[in-house]
Amino acid sequence: MFLSFITDLFQQDFMLRALIAGIMLGVLAPLLGTFVVVRRLSFIADTLGHFSLVGISVSLFLSSIGIATFFEKPLYLGIIFSVIGGLLIELFRRSYNNFQEISMVIVISLGAALSAIFFSLSKKTGSLYNYLFGSILTVTNYYIILILVTAAIVALLFIIFGKQILAVSFDESSAKFLGINVNLFQIIFIIMLSVVVSVLLESAGVLLISSMMVIPVAAGMKLGWSYKSTLIISIIFSELSVFFGLWLAYSLNIPSGAAIVSINIIILLFVAIIKRIILKNRISKLDKLQ
Amino acid sequence: MQININNLSFAYGAKTIISNLSLTLNSGDYLVIRGKNGSGKSTFVKCLLGFNLVKSGMIFYDKVDITAFKSWTKFGYVSQNFDDFNYEFPITVGELLQISSLKKNSESDRLRLLEKMGIFDIINQNINSLSGGQSQRVFIVRAMLNSPEVLILDEPTASIDKQNKEFFYSTIEELHQEGITIILITHNDDIEELNYTHLLSMYNDLTTSFEERGVELTEGVL
Repeated sequence: MFLSFITDLFQQDFMLRALIAGIMLGVLAPLLGTFVVVRRLSFIADTLGHFSLVGISVSLFLSSIGIATFFEKPLYLGIIFSVIGGLLIELFRRSYNNFQEISMVIVISLGAALSAIFFSLSKKTGSLYNYLFGSILTVTNYYIILILVTAAIVALLFIIFGKQILAVSFDESSAKFLGINVNLFQIIFIIMLSVVVSVLLESAGVLLISSMMVIPVAAGMKLGWSYKSTLIISIIFSELSVFFGLWLAYSLNIPSGAAIVSINIIILLFVAIIKRIILKNRISKLDKLQ
Repeated sequence: MQININNLSFAYGAKTIISNLSLTLNSGDYLVIRGKNGSGKSTFVKCLLGFNLVKSGMIFYDKVDITAFKSWTKFGYVSQNFDDFNYEFPITVGELLQISSLKKNSESDRLRLLEKMGIFDIINQNINSLSGGQSQRVFIVRAMLNSPEVLILDEPTASIDKQNKEFFYSTIEELHQEGITIILITHNDDIEELNYTHLLSMYNDLTTSFEERGVELTEGVL
């Protein structure tokens, strides 16, 4: 079964597209996930995903009543709404400085409510399932180009601004003494995150995008000894989840996003258990020495 | 850098924390701010650093009003218990210093500072595995990394042992000798051993006194 999966990966076009999208997803999600976790904004991807869904539903609604949207594909309006959602979070975050999670609850509720309204008005609630859970096995060539371009832009931004974004993430107040315009970098980061979340939405799904960003990082944090090692371990875990998730989805005919997240969780549990066993052994060895 | 503070007052909502505080510091001065918990020491420092927006009174850096001041790289700041820093995510001492270093600093400057502060051998350690004393040295190195003109330290000896405390005070003394302006907050009373040039005492009833060492009380605000 595994062998036929491997041969299909390279012989079937849709499988190859899923693999490429999966590899990109496997890098982008935990890369941005580390920043999201450092800044204690683990729910932000969920929130942005919901707001992106508003854009998608508005786009479907407009086309259902015969108005061609400015952009032909729902994803574009999704990106625009995701950026608006990101800026709204940033705006509310500043007015509820000590209760940052409030800003996300406000935006996520608004996103869920509006998208439900527009999906129902568009009478295309059938497509909602795909947007909620993602469908990496059905991505198009066009999507592959889009995700590659997104990855290239993110890579470029990290090469130019990575140091500043890291400094702001770890210690917002001290970044000022490095001559960093903190507000500007917050905005750059939130826009980048909003775009990536809405692009990954098609393959990962609104409900699972957050898990793909945060869970590999949660496992990586258990093993990492530095920022760099944590990031690399998170990406390895994420890629393993994508690969075996695709295999599960292919062999059992289950939704790919759900399969990938399940593998992510299994890895996290495995790492947590192994770490606990190692720690216990070390403590009992120390006890014996004493 | 000259620091001028004129009639500074600050309140959280209706609760006044600082009332009509005025003082002047020149380059190379060493100011100790002492007072009990709740006397407004940290609030005052947050005003100085622009974290608290001043609504009444003025702060000038080299005659530039704080609201127009942009050269924050001239300041080094070590916060109380380094509590603004996100500890739980793994990051090594070396990585932290790398992201905190401006381009003008060479690798050798950085290493020399580490050597001087006695933390050269922990460069590859995760920040959250360090002791209180080690963390403190790391955060002082971070504040010193970009050769600030003014170094502000908020209650830095709160969580360290006696030996580290002595090392800390002698380091501050050395930095002061090098011409850096020092602003040090403490709630300790044993400040006589410190070689400060100015002392600001803050009291819970909003009164303050500012004096130059060896000179009679120059200002007292009631």
